[in-house]
Amino acid sequence: MEILQYALRKFITGIPLILGVTFISFLLMVYFGPDKTYELAGKNATPEQIAEIRHQLGYDRPFLVRYGEYLRELVTLDFGYSDSTGERVSHILERTIPISLALILPGFVLGNLLGIALALVAAHHRGRWLDKLIMGGSVVGMSISFLIVIIAFQIIFCSNYGLGWFPVRGWNVYDFWDYLRYVTVPTLATVFVALGYNTRFYRAVLVEELGRDHVRTARAFGAPPAEVLFKHVLKNAMIPIITRIMFSIPFVVVSGALLIESYFGIPGVGLVTYDAITTGDQPVLKAVVGLTAVLFVLVLILNDIFYKLVDPRVSLQ
Amino acid sequence: MSATAAPAARPVSESLWGKAWYKFRRDRFGMAGLAVVLVYLVIALGVWLGLWGQHWSSVEGPMWAPPGPDYWLGTNIIGQDIFERAIYSTKTAFEVGLVVAVLSTALGGVLGALAGYWSNRWPDELILWLMGVLDAIPFYLFVAAIAFALQDNPYAMHIAMIATFWTTTARLVRGEVIKLKNFEFVEAARAIGLPQRLIIFRHILPNTFHILLVQATIVFVSAIKSEVILSFLGLGVKDGVSWGVMIAESTQEVQAGHFSNFVTASAFLFVLVMAFNLFSDALQDALDPRKVSA
Repeated sequence: MEILQYALRKFITGIPLILGVTFISFLLMVYFGPDKTYELAGKNATPEQIAEIRHQLGYDRPFLVRYGEYLRELVTLDFGYSDSTGERVSHILERTIPISLALILPGFVLGNLLGIALALVAAHHRGRWLDKLIMGGSVVGMSISFLIVIIAFQIIFCSNYGLGWFPVRGWNVYDFWDYLRYVTVPTLATVFVALGYNTRFYRAVLVEELGRDHVRTARAFGAPPAEVLFKHVLKNAMIPIITRIMFSIPFVVVSGALLIESYFGIPGVGLVTYDAITTGDQPVLKAVVGLTAVLFVLVLILNDIFYKLVDPRVSLQ
Repeated sequence: MSATAAPAARPVSESLWGKAWYKFRRDRFGMAGLAVVLVYLVIALGVWLGLWGQHWSSVEGPMWAPPGPDYWLGTNIIGQDIFERAIYSTKTAFEVGLVVAVLSTALGGVLGALAGYWSNRWPDELILWLMGVLDAIPFYLFVAAIAFALQDNPYAMHIAMIATFWTTTARLVRGEVIKLKNFEFVEAARAIGLPQRLIIFRHILPNTFHILLVQATIVFVSAIKSEVILSFLGLGVKDGVSWGVMIAESTQEVQAGHFSNFVTASAFLFVLVMAFNLFSDALQDALDPRKVSA
């Protein structure tokens, strides 16, 4: 009950943030955004036709009314119809979000787990050659652009010039076997890109924790190294680790999916967003930006609740 | 507070920057990184001065010529010299990197200092809110939105990056300023009646310069990496050529089995980013007094 109250209070403090994000994106994308009138009007439209179209698009209403309309859409999750396909935006999202999650989730989970594992190894062997090897590898990994990894992996694993083991493009998933065939190369690419950053970050967190007094005390009491590492160091380092994982969720889902899906031609929410960017499909863009902002605020709240669960000293007041 | 080194006769100067330079010089990877960055800088300056890389747009060769004496790294799908294009793109990368790094670090430093100086008062709340809002908008969508709003302005990408990359710097500077503003030298400045603007910008902000320097190198790397992805998405460099533009055009060539364009652009980008990362790491190690050498 206490937690529920706390969450509610946090959500109320998150409202200015949601208002800010929606306002800025509305201002940039819709108010200053492309004018669709003449695309729809065709050649030689009469002034009456133009006025009619502007009325349909809502261009003739005052700014604040249109912004309020957007907020209403966000609350009711009803974003109208896509400009380019005419499909309901909520239907598009219902159809594409599960695909994106299925595509991104394995890489996201593996990237973080492997990152923590490598960081533990590096921190355990701190200063020795294994640590230097892992850290050197992460700098190399961090220096390769995501785009280059995607293209190179597609050549290596999917094309006839490389191994040709996996399909080059698309997403024809009907059973688990298909799923594995289509998801493997994107997963390898996301893990490869995330691993360098994750390992470095987690190692820094672990090394800092290793230097604390309680670790020295545990060692002095003769706790075995593995117990020190997992029970005393990893457990206490959970707060920054969880924070990082939580905060990367909204961006991994949107930005990661955007590049992978547009390159592999996978019909997820990223590809829909990419198409919406290139064609200026405002109802879709408004929905994606608004929902990401809400997701961001939800993550902020969940993160604070997680703190409480992990560390009982954190107060709910 | 001079950033230049102490004379070589004395091994360690006692100033912060002298010590940092001494520490930095002993970091072999950092020095190697700096050397590579300087080579790239010379290439970029040469392009800017018109010494080389001027034929990047002329269509002179056959399509997909193999590497050879005429075209060192071959030609692309319409017969342009890939080597010339990669060289010219170095200038584009430095242009994007420097503009974004300098302006976003300056913005982050100023707003971070203001927020830190008035922490928990309304200017701080406002700046924190703005940072939260900017961090909550997905980056590529924000760039797309700015590109819409500015109607194909060639600097839409730069503006979007500056507008989003300053927040990390501002958070770091804010934290440092909150710590610094209770120091005696700030109290002394206040006691002799200096106006607040001078206290903030002449006494507090210069003491965060080490943070700004490191952040600028990090932003530089992020900017050239983002440029590649944005150009690929069609939101980046509009006129001219960049490694991102080269990679974007190479996606068709790769399917036909011609990898020179893709490999060249990727290699140029990778070496610069790698060198800059090593340089930036060494700089952080050298400037962080608490850092124990691992």
